[in-house]
Amino acid sequence: MTETTAPIGMVEYLLAFADDEHLMGQQHTEWIGVAPFLEEDLAFSSIGQDELGHAVQLYELVLELDGTEATDEAIDGLAYRRPAAHYRSSTLAEYVTTDWAEALVRHWLYDTVEELRWQLVVDSAHQPLADVAARARREESFHRRHADALLDPLLRSTDSRSRLLTALDSVGPHLPSLLDAPSGERGAVTIGAASAPLASVGPEVATAIETRFDRAVPEPWTTPATAGRTQRDPGFGALMARMLEVLDFDPDATW
Amino acid sequence: MSAKPSELMITVLHAISTVDDPEYPGISIVDLGLLERCEIDDDAGTVEIGLIPTFAGCPALDVIRADVRSAVEAVAGVQELTVGWLRAPVWTTDRVSERARSALANDFTVAVQVGGEIPPCPRCGWPTEDKSLFGPSRCRSVARCHRCDETIEVLRS
Repeated sequence: MTETTAPIGMVEYLLAFADDEHLMGQQHTEWIGVAPFLEEDLAFSSIGQDELGHAVQLYELVLELDGTEATDEAIDGLAYRRPAAHYRSSTLAEYVTTDWAEALVRHWLYDTVEELRWQLVVDSAHQPLADVAARARREESFHRRHADALLDPLLRSTDSRSRLLTALDSVGPHLPSLLDAPSGERGAVTIGAASAPLASVGPEVATAIETRFDRAVPEPWTTPATAGRTQRDPGFGALMARMLEVLDFDPDATW
Repeated sequence: MSAKPSELMITVLHAISTVDDPEYPGISIVDLGLLERCEIDDDAGTVEIGLIPTFAGCPALDVIRADVRSAVEAVAGVQELTVGWLRAPVWTTDRVSERARSALANDFTVAVQVGGEIPPCPRCGWPTEDKSLFGPSRCRSVARCHRCDETIEVLRS
């Protein structure tokens, strides 16, 4: 690395994105073997795999800015071993659900925002981030296509539509946390690492929800939270404990 | 690369081409378009290899890197070796060679999708129908042939 000092805020900005991708990827993989049908087993595991791949790349960028070699151990350290208060994930990615309708709606909503989020950094002045975004955007196009293909028929039938709308009411209130700016975001925008704050996609997300679900979006849903992503969802501890179960079983194991 | 590749370059490239994709024994990672860069300093014996992944989350990355490393390490004259995954460019299916395409079709019943259209059946050439966007691994979707009713895996990007 020629760069020795990380631009102020870039690390926090990238961590927020990486943490979301990591937790969302982990949560998707929970459906392997228990999704309603085989194609969904495969889809959720593949999508989860993509998000985990993005998370690894974003954690690598964090480590590079920090001047640390991006070894597997260093990446795992960021992904699993920080104190809960140091995570910058959104509660949308943190909260745990065992309801399939909620998982599907969350998948759609998260990927709708994620697509726009990559768009904000695809021309990043921080070239490594622009490179990661170029690949990620290509992969993301499959995610939305998948969610839409499943939601199309499900939203046409009365029973499944009402279940999905109930699910939307559970997932929607987490949207402000996803649009919440981590402390480094302003700095990232100032140096051109991102073209705009994530909150700027709020109106576009509201329109997407309205078009997709044919219902009005309560204003608070797209009003960004202001906690700077410092507060964890009550389910975070249990989620992290489950994620660490295998890793802690034999910390020195090589994979 | 200079007009005439050095002997070391030729041997190293050959060594890399002997590395098969773990998913497709018999098909070289070079034919799948994973090799992006190979820089060699002939005098110093330093070799720098840059690979690109099909998908960022591909679980085979470590295996492929280790395989490339051990294949090239064995080449006489190689003093210092770096093998890394590059962030750019993005891998696409147009990087897959003709040779790999026919091996994928004949040995694995895998069709390669380039662009938006679903490719024909690799067995009989008839049109196929998209069945599932996601298949047995991240880089493959599932289609079915209208004629032989065969389930087809489709490599796509």
